[in-house]
This record gives sequence, C-alpha cells and structure tokens, in this order.
Amino acid sequence: MPLDVIMPALGMAQDTGHIVAWHKSPGEAVAEGDVLFEVETDKATMEVEAQGAGYLTDVAAEAGSDVPVGQVIARISDTAEGSGDAGEAAPAPPSAPESESDDLPEGHGVIMPTLGMAQDTGLLVGWLKELGDAVGEDDILFEVETDKSTAEVPAGASGYLAAQLAQPGEEVPVGQVIAILTAEAPDKTVSRSAGEAPKAAAPAPAEKAEAAPKPAQTRSEEPATRAPQPAPAQAGRILASPKARRLALEQGLDLSRLAEAGYPQPYHAKDIETLKSLPDPQAQAAASGAALQLTATAQGAEQAAFLHWAEAEGSAPLAQDALWAAFACAALREATGAEGPLAVEVSAARGASHAVIDADLAPISALESVEPEGAPSLRLRDLTASRITGLRLGAPDCPALTVMAEGETLTITLDFTAAQLSEAAAISLLTGFAARLEDPLRQLL
Amino acid sequence: MREITLSQAVNEALAEEMRRDETVFIMGEDVAEAGTPFKVLSGLVEEFGTSRVVDTPIAEPGFVGIAVGAAMTGTRPVVDLMFGDFLYLVMDQLCNQAAKQHYMSGGKLKVPMVLRTNLGATRRSAAQHSQSLHALVAHIPGVKVAMPSSAYEAKGLMKTAIRDDNPVVIFEDKLMYNDKAPVPEEEYLIPFGKAEVLREGSDITLIGTSSMVQVCQKAAETLAGEGISAEVIDPRTLVPLDEATLLASARKTSRVIVVDEGHQSYGITGEIAGRINEKAFYHLDAPVLRMGAMDVPVPFSPALEDITVPSPEAVVEKARKLVAGELIHAA
Repeated sequence: MPLDVIMPALGMAQDTGHIVAWHKSPGEAVAEGDVLFEVETDKATMEVEAQGAGYLTDVAAEAGSDVPVGQVIARISDTAEGSGDAGEAAPAPPSAPESESDDLPEGHGVIMPTLGMAQDTGLLVGWLKELGDAVGEDDILFEVETDKSTAEVPAGASGYLAAQLAQPGEEVPVGQVIAILTAEAPDKTVSRSAGEAPKAAAPAPAEKAEAAPKPAQTRSEEPATRAPQPAPAQAGRILASPKARRLALEQGLDLSRLAEAGYPQPYHAKDIETLKSLPDPQAQAAASGAALQLTATAQGAEQAAFLHWAEAEGSAPLAQDALWAAFACAALREATGAEGPLAVEVSAARGASHAVIDADLAPISALESVEPEGAPSLRLRDLTASRITGLRLGAPDCPALTVMAEGETLTITLDFTAAQLSEAAAISLLTGFAARLEDPLRQLL
Repeated sequence: MREITLSQAVNEALAEEMRRDETVFIMGEDVAEAGTPFKVLSGLVEEFGTSRVVDTPIAEPGFVGIAVGAAMTGTRPVVDLMFGDFLYLVMDQLCNQAAKQHYMSGGKLKVPMVLRTNLGATRRSAAQHSQSLHALVAHIPGVKVAMPSSAYEAKGLMKTAIRDDNPVVIFEDKLMYNDKAPVPEEEYLIPFGKAEVLREGSDITLIGTSSMVQVCQKAAETLAGEGISAEVIDPRTLVPLDEATLLASARKTSRVIVVDEGHQSYGITGEIAGRINEKAFYHLDAPVLRMGAMDVPVPFSPALEDITVPSPEAVVEKARKLVAGELIHAA
C-alpha cells in the first residue's frame, strides 16, 4: 500500500507550509524515520520524517512552494516507479475538500490540528457550534482530545458552520478537514462521519440553524467507538482543608452534605461540627418509614344501585369485596404504573381475609380467591359493616385502604409509608379508588 | 536578671570562649581598634591583644580562606564578615572549601570555624548592605546556620558555635545590636537544632527567624486582643532544623505562617512550609503561608524599604484570614 505524504500541520493557526527543501529525490529508497523534507512555518523550520519505508514517488510539490496543510505532496510506494498517477496524489487543498466528487459547500476548511509532536490523529470530543451557526474567527469550534490533553480549537476564520465532517467520538487524522465555514449563511448543511466516503454523503436539510435536527446523521456503518467524553466534573470538587477531610473521613461524614445544605466553601475543621448537626440522611431514610395517611370520602349510593342493576341483569351475583378488589387494583396500577401481578388482600370486619391477584384484569365474576401469601401489594379493609368511622394504623407493611361508612357516605383512608408510595402515587391511588366507588361504571370503561 | 544588649551578649560570648580556649581567635575587617562598625567587639583587643583579635585587609575571600586553613590546622577562628551581603565574595571558601573538607578528607579534617555576619533591612543601607542571605548558606550541606533573635540567644548560640567542630555561620540582625534582653551572668549554652516556643497558642502558629521573631510576637499580641491565640516559635538554627517542634505545633494549631526576612522566593519560608506540608498535611486546616522579603533589591528609599519586609500588621492580616477560613489562592 502506498503511503501518502501530506503537508503536516505544525502550528495551531497554520494554513500552509513552505517546503524549504526535499531531502530525498523521487525514486529514492526511504526508510521509516528518514527525513523527507523540511517545512518552514511562522515559528520554526521542521524536518518531516517518513512514516513508512518504500520509495519516494509522485512528488507533487517543489521546494520553495507553499502547500496547504493536509495536501498530499508525495507518496511512499512499494516500487521506485510509484503509481505514475501524480494527479491523484495531489488532491484538492482544504479550501475545497473533495469538492470534485461531493456536494459539500464551498468555503474555508478547518482541519484537525496537530496538538502533540507525535500525534497522528485527534479524538473529536464534541462540537461547540451547531450547523448553521455564525462563527467568529476566535470562537471555539470543537474540542479535541489527544494523548495528553483536551484542547479547544478555534475556528481560525469567521463564517457559518456549513459542514461537520466528523462526529464526536471519532478519531480523525491530523490535517483532515473536519469542518467547512462558508461566507454566507448556508442554505444546506452537511453532517457526516470522518471515515465516510464523500460520495455516500447526503446533505442534511436545514433551513435554519434552530430547525436543524440534532446531528443524528452519523452515517458511518460502525458506530463511533468512543463516546464523547464529558468534561470531568471539576465543579463538583468540594473545597476543604486537609484536616477537614481527614476529620470527615475518620467520622464517616460526607462533606458534600454541607455543600448540598448551602454552606459556603471552603470547609475547615470547625465546619465538621456543623456537618455533624445536619440531619442524618439515614435518619431521613428511616423517616420515610413513618406512617402517612390520606383520607377521602365518596357517596356509596351509585354503587348499591350498580350492584342491584348487575344482579337484575341476571349475571352471577357480584360480591362487593371482589368489586372493590378490582377497583383498588386498578387504582393502584394506575397510580404506580405497575406492570407485574398485583395482589390485593381483602378483609372485612368479620371473617378471614383472602387475596385476589390482578383483580382489575379478569372479569369480576370470575375472580378467584387465594390464600394470602406474604405481604400483598395492597391491603383492602371493609369496615362499612362496623361502627368504626376513623382509624390510624401506624406504618403498615404495605399500603392499606380502609373503607368505613356513615350512612351513604363512605370514608376511605389510605395508610402508607413514603418508602411504599410517593405522595403523588398515594393521592392518585386514593382518588382513583374513591372515584370508582362513587361511579362503578368507571371501572368498566 | 540583668539585661544587656545583643552587642554585649556577643562580646561576652567571645570573651568567655577566648578565655576558656586559647585556640579561639577573631579576625576580620576593623575588628581590633574599631571593634567593628557596630561596636560589637569593643574592648576585646585590649584583653586579648592583636594576635588574637586580628585586623585584616579589605579582602574577604583571602581572610576567610586563611580562617578555613587555620581551622583545619587546629585553631578555632571566629571570622567577622562586616555585612552579610559580602557572603557572595566568600562563597567558594565557605561552601566549596569549609563545607566539604570533612567529607572529602574522609573525616580526617575538621573546619571548626565560625563566620559571624549579619542580616536585616530597614537600616537605610541600600541594596548592597541590607540583604538577608542565610538561605544561600543553609542550602549547602556541611554548614550550620544559627539565627539568634535576642541577646540571650546570641550569646548561647555563639558559644555553642565556637565549640562546634563544623563550620557555622551566625547571622545577627544588625538592627537588634542595641536591643536589650535578660541574660544570665552564669555560663549557659543553647544547643543547636532546638527550637524555642516563645508563646503558646492554639489557633495559629507563627514561625519567625531572627529579626522576624519580634514581628511574630507583636503580631501575636495584636491577635490575642482579637481572640486569636497564636503560638510563636523561633527555630534558632536553620541547620540543623528542629522539625519536630515545628510539626507538633502545626498539628496542634492546624495553621502556620512562616516569616523570614530573606527574599520569599526559593527561601527559608518555602523550605519550612514545604516540610510542614509534607509531614503534617492531614492536620492542616489552611495552606501554610510564606512571608518573606519582597523579591526586589532592597530599596534605599525609606518609604519603599519599609514595605519590602514583613510587618506585624501584615502578619496579623494574613493570620486573620487563615483563622477565618477565607479561601486563600483558590485554584
């Protein structure tokens, strides 16, 4: 395989390199590491070494000429004759990358810069400008990660970002054009992968920058091998003295809790006392086991009518507890979004309790009772036949609905803990259940 | 206890040692009749004669070289270097010859020499007569460095220096020659490598050398009035350094300011701060601060000269910030 010899980017803001002299003649044998030619930039003259062994062929730039960075100026071939196709060895300069075969916009090409001496590629961490954005010369266009560091790369020219020719996470060879800036706002923009053949590229339509879809257009066959690296969370670093850190460590305290509580940094030894006086998160967790209760009322008249109607319709008599189990199960599923089987344990003022599984999914008349086994998803207690009008259960082992009656008015309480149900879910559950008691047809819908 | 000046204390130390040991002698510029420009040695030539109190030509490298040779051959010379600034002239004799003879002779040679000199600015002596160059010498293995901060220390350290078998450089603060302090009439020695805790405190440690010990004590006084308890420590000798006492105090108070009249950069303050950082890091509640002289030639203008040196006010201000837990030089 012949190796292309390109004009390297030796400086951050370098567009072209001046070839001072060739150290090898066309056809001459070249070993890896041999000096091929000398380049002069603004700051220095550098010797450029061969990246592989072979014969120097297809020399397309004379000593004394200025060559755009990234342009192929020669080849190292397997034979002294080379490809003989010198024209191919001199592709277009970066100002019009691959334009002959592509519908890329015309404009200023921004290349992957050389950030280290022995750097072949740069990892594009991310774009800091969107396609279509207006870009100033000094605006940071993208971030590059090398072996040693992550660097922000300025645009180097002003214009509009018309093409992103590499995607975050891609390794891009140094000198390759990865962005095109156009003088006018582009009517179309291009976003594609660095490894992609130009001919396969299709421009992504984007009339306005705001309307431009987020570049999900990585068209490379293989997904980017490395995800963009988010900037390390330096901001999350807590400023604290060594002593404060040691004391916190010894006492098992977390300094970040001081930050969360809004105490200004840096933290010193005396702040450890403040930290100790902050509410313990584990105590708060225990508090989530505290008993919570919600109460609702509903009118039971409709329900009685519904049961009469169902019986009159000739279906098998509907048991009220089965109906309620179905209501409770449906309300719980609605409130928590639970998908798995839900067991509702039903009990009345007198008589043994029994459990019903997924009471909301089966026909009510076909519900089967099973023996209670372990803690159910929900406990439903029917105290309408008793004279009890209020109760407080303490922290239950599962959410518990209790229905009590005063005439036609039903009072429903929901006992639960924060660990079992969120406040919103609890409200939804109780509301849903009460609504179904008041309007049984709701369950059928 | 009687009080005498630092000049008198040094004079007494030399006289006592010269009486005790006839190999002890003094040499330097204007040491005999003149008794030095600071009158430290007045009266010695009368008692010991010009053979033991020797006036030399104005040729520092020459007479320090003579002293090194004299020390190697069985005497205990006390060389007077009129200004600490002249150390530059004698660096080869002191650092290449005196400091290395014992080592390079495989222990066969000793250089029991004392180089008496001084430090300190704010005497309106301009840039070439106002420097505090003890860090230069402390950097060189083989030389001991003593930094008395009072008449009491000046006498006790001088006597120890004369009896030490190694080259010792003693830096006296030239503004302190007339400062009086209680000095016992009976003989005493102050061991090298033993720091003095001059004031006990719990909130912050102020480590001061030589001229800066007074500055630290004044600062501690002011801080006490603000409810800040400052500990003041005088290392007394930089080589050897009583690291244990400094570290113990740093661990106790968790905050340290090191104050020294040498230039701040690459100086004594950085060295001591570095050691505390290395060895008491997990006990520190604030960065160890250095306070040295500004990194400028000492100005002749009195108004400018005074602000190049750490003052009690400046130390108090820094101490307040450390104790208050202010963010200092946050990255």
